Amino acid sequence: MPESLMTPLFELENSYKELIKDTNYKKELALLLNDFVGRPSPLMFAKKLTEYAGGARIYLKREDLNHTGAHKINNALGQALLAKHMGKKRIIAETGAGQHGVAAATAAAKIGLKCIVYMGEVDIHRQRPNVDRMKLLGAKIVAVRSASKTLKDAINEALRDWITNVKDSYYLLGSVLGPYPYPKMVRDFQIVIGKEARRQIMKKEGRLPDYLIACVGGGSNAIGLFYPFLKDRRVKMVGVEAGGKGIKTGKHAARFSGGSIGILHGTKSFVLQDRYGQINETHSVAAGLDYPSVGPEHSYLKSIKRVDYTYVTDKEAMKAFNILSELEGIIPAMESAHAIAYGIKLAKKLSKDKVIVINLSGRGDKDL
Amino acid sequence: MNRIDKKFLNLRKEGKMAFMPFVVAGDPSFAMSIKIIKTLLKYADLLEIGFPYSDPLADGPVIQAADERALKAGMNTDKVFELITKVRFFSETPITVLVYANLVEQRGLEKFYKDAKKAGVDGILIPDVPLEEIEPYIKVSKKFQIRQILMASQTTDNERLKKISKLAKGYIYLVTILGTTGVRAGVEQVTLDLINKVKVVSNLPLAAGFGISKKSQVDELGRAGANGFIIGSRIIKILEGIENNERILYERLISYLNAITGK
Repeated sequence: MPESLMTPLFELENSYKELIKDTNYKKELALLLNDFVGRPSPLMFAKKLTEYAGGARIYLKREDLNHTGAHKINNALGQALLAKHMGKKRIIAETGAGQHGVAAATAAAKIGLKCIVYMGEVDIHRQRPNVDRMKLLGAKIVAVRSASKTLKDAINEALRDWITNVKDSYYLLGSVLGPYPYPKMVRDFQIVIGKEARRQIMKKEGRLPDYLIACVGGGSNAIGLFYPFLKDRRVKMVGVEAGGKGIKTGKHAARFSGGSIGILHGTKSFVLQDRYGQINETHSVAAGLDYPSVGPEHSYLKSIKRVDYTYVTDKEAMKAFNILSELEGIIPAMESAHAIAYGIKLAKKLSKDKVIVINLSGRGDKDL
Repeated sequence: MNRIDKKFLNLRKEGKMAFMPFVVAGDPSFAMSIKIIKTLLKYADLLEIGFPYSDPLADGPVIQAADERALKAGMNTDKVFELITKVRFFSETPITVLVYANLVEQRGLEKFYKDAKKAGVDGILIPDVPLEEIEPYIKVSKKFQIRQILMASQTTDNERLKKISKLAKGYIYLVTILGTTGVRAGVEQVTLDLINKVKVVSNLPLAAGFGISKKSQVDELGRAGANGFIIGSRIIKILEGIENNERILYERLISYLNAITGK
């Protein structure tokens, strides 16, 4: 990270540490999560999907039912409250699929802050409904036209804005990426997913699940679901990356299958890059997974073999998108459809007494 | 003695500021880049050469576009070193390279500095490695007698300034604005104050960069105590489209260089 951001990052870390101990802050956030977001989100038994796969029992953690339609709002509200507490007037956010942009714009509106969202031009075109939603919510959208015109470039621009306006602005990063303390902070705000899922599956099945499955772009919905189960050794976990048009074509975003350790946006993690260290362009049908690096904690969980990482191609994800819509009456986000696709594959191989929880991280209206 | 130290020592004796132009290696092509550097070297006291990078987050749009052109023209780390080796055939002017951390990491720290030394590099500046992570780089830089250039900015507090002045070698790169590289109007009072603050804790030369394009800014920075000034975006901007308009853009560059150096 550039020197200009180091002091602000330490300030952020200190303010965060202080605030999470504050009872009023905790109450305020809990109230927002309940009454504004609609938490807890249900854990739903997917009866027809289970029958279709013909194996393990499939449950869906319904983050798509959150206000604004994805898990992103959990983090956006937590951080926007922090921004307000730090006396910042303006929120900067990047967005890929637009779900984080919408969540940030929503949190800013609710809490009373200005909001500017950086979004790659390619993503603006393919996630149009979210662009319109952000505008309605009073956010200013800046189209990013550099390099691949997707999430990576939007983060570059957001960081540049932050370097320039660091005194009055707060950078509301949307995933478990970037410099410390972001990966930890965003994880802390997303853990609510796994905590609820744990309670809910105990109530419904009387036991822990055999598998947890989540899609991994930056990896915030996955870490949110996985984290509260990490110590339960018998719960297996799978992170699903974007296989795009296939690993061999080079048109994908499967960092763990085609990447190596590198540095991007202040984080050392698996990165898709050439042998000199130039960051590769990525491809995925899901804008939210279209990013050349992955949260550093996922790299760690892979290295200690606690979580398995696999990928699903564009084609498989699109098929799952249709299957879930037709069988369960739920249109999933194209990102979440990657987790669904793998979940179906896995359930088929497992016996009927096994239990799978898939994080349905967002809804798919934006993808129509 | 390292070329950088020698140059600043001589300039100090003469009471002059160092003019430090910045260009991206291989922009818009390998051959054209060498030609541009040749012209700049007639004016430069120290040359800053940037390694083109896919994600230059400390840089503004002008330098990012230069990076993209250079990469498109096929530049990579090997070729940047090759280019610097060629420059060394005709020049003994000190050279600092600006390179983002991932390019150094992928080559391997030791190999990067070794190759840099062999090519004739005198200083290395890595804008995205913070003080907290700089130790291994400093160690290798000492081994190969390359100056590790560190940055200070408006948001750098006194404690960090002390650490920077303790670790930095060659000169301290003073980021004069909050923001990325690019052309700005004047010099902010906070920047002038920052020069004073750094002067208190460090005897190293101070080179001011980011947002400088005018003679009046240079003079103001000089009066405040800066020992050098870096100009990148403005020069690169002048040369945009040089492939199609060589003669006129060179003329423009030369008249700009004359004006900024007061020749």
